[in-house]
Amino acid sequence: MSPYILFVMLTSLGLGTTLTFTSSHWLLAWMGLEINTLAIIPLMTNKHHPRAVEAATKYFLTQAAAAAILLFASIYNAWYSGQWFIQDMSSPVSTLMTLAIAIKLGIAPMHFWLPEVMQGISINTGLILVTWQKLAPLALLMQISHNIKPELLIILGLMSTIIGGWGGLNQTQIRKIMAYSSIAHLGWIISILHFMPALAMVNLFIYLIMTITMFMTFNLLNSPTINTLAVNWSKSPILAATSALALLSLGGLPPLSGFMPKWLIIQELTNQELAPTATLLALSALLSLFFYLRLSYSLSLTIMPNTHPQTLNWNMKITTPLPLSLMMMMTLTMLPITPTIISLF
Amino acid sequence: MVMMVVFSVMFLISLIAVASNPSPYFAALGLMIGAGVGCGMLTQFGMTFLSMILFLIYLGGMLVVFAYSAALAAEPYPSAWGSLEVFSYVVGSLMLVVVMWMLLVNDFGAFDEIEGCVMSVRRYVGVSEMYNAGGYMLLVAGWVLLVALLVVLELTRGFGRGCLRAV
Repeated sequence: MSPYILFVMLTSLGLGTTLTFTSSHWLLAWMGLEINTLAIIPLMTNKHHPRAVEAATKYFLTQAAAAAILLFASIYNAWYSGQWFIQDMSSPVSTLMTLAIAIKLGIAPMHFWLPEVMQGISINTGLILVTWQKLAPLALLMQISHNIKPELLIILGLMSTIIGGWGGLNQTQIRKIMAYSSIAHLGWIISILHFMPALAMVNLFIYLIMTITMFMTFNLLNSPTINTLAVNWSKSPILAATSALALLSLGGLPPLSGFMPKWLIIQELTNQELAPTATLLALSALLSLFFYLRLSYSLSLTIMPNTHPQTLNWNMKITTPLPLSLMMMMTLTMLPITPTIISLF
Repeated sequence: MVMMVVFSVMFLISLIAVASNPSPYFAALGLMIGAGVGCGMLTQFGMTFLSMILFLIYLGGMLVVFAYSAALAAEPYPSAWGSLEVFSYVVGSLMLVVVMWMLLVNDFGAFDEIEGCVMSVRRYVGVSEMYNAGGYMLLVAGWVLLVALLVVLELTRGFGRGCLRAV
């Protein structure tokens, strides 16, 4: 892609999310979301093959439909309450707005586009899709969170964690597994959104760190399926070892930092007298943990014999070691500083 | 009053030009003339801003896009008013107009109420607020349009450089 076009697209991605963050008018927030949708389409079709075009088409159609529903909900709110202020959305259409944002985020039962889109695009564009594109809709959701019926958010959250866990069990492609992991983590985020939005932001923060770690790892290891993960022990032993731990952090095991949001959310839900919800969430996290364990099993818990005729790359050159090492450290070791993390939000 | 009659007759001719199934180029020409005189009719009724917007968006936007996409599917021998089947459509439409006129038109009172140009701009003064208070939003909207253009350009680059190979 021409560097000028790439620059314009990446700048527009930043502009769109920033517009949605800083706006208090529904129309400007909608415009930011549309800029994000438009700007990522050429990034998705960067590798010109039909699978990428299919993924870009599916992404565009679902996001455009969600943006249309969002615009309709905001216009209804303007007609009903006479003002366009985002945080004063107390009209009966907050449910529709929540569902529109849920389509944009890939929350079950509107999650069907996410694994197929993730499979068709490159792993770096998948990283942008799963991290940056989630920020703007979640910002809107957090601003209207006190007006949404809590039952809706709990139901969406439970369905997302259960479907994210169950859906990922039968996958062998890494990008689809990461898509289902995104669905499950987003379920945790929105289940606590009505009661304590700060905890949702803590969960989002930790989830972003863990996901960026895993995507960068899979980008370096260049393995699209679980089978090809098995030869990575000889490519980079340190990466195989630490990414096994990072996968367990994604699964939410103590003493890794992925345990922090799950612990705090379960505590808050129990304080809000929603102990069965917390139990169901924790049990559905076991499903996700199973496929993370399967990945770490192929990656580092077993040593596959290499007899294929290929020069073994025993000294893998990592040209920019800082981002991955920083994210890996944060994924593995941030649990003891939980009070600091909470005080940030 | 004379202008209204002229505009109405030209509108009718352009509609017949579109409905007589010529090649798309001539139909687009008919649409252009029809939209032009339609804007003229709107101006006679005093809605000058609406007619400007209609001209800009309909002719300057949609029709230009239509012309480019029709030019992509060019045919060597377009059928115009010279061919027999198009001419029969024209004759049929004219006869339909005459029959409907004789059946339905009872009085010509609508044309008597228009005396000169009535400019009623009070309704549209709010539109200038969009440029005043919402100026930055228009700037962002312009940027969005530019990004949309670049996205379409990137997706449809020809000869294997883009991902859609229609051209």
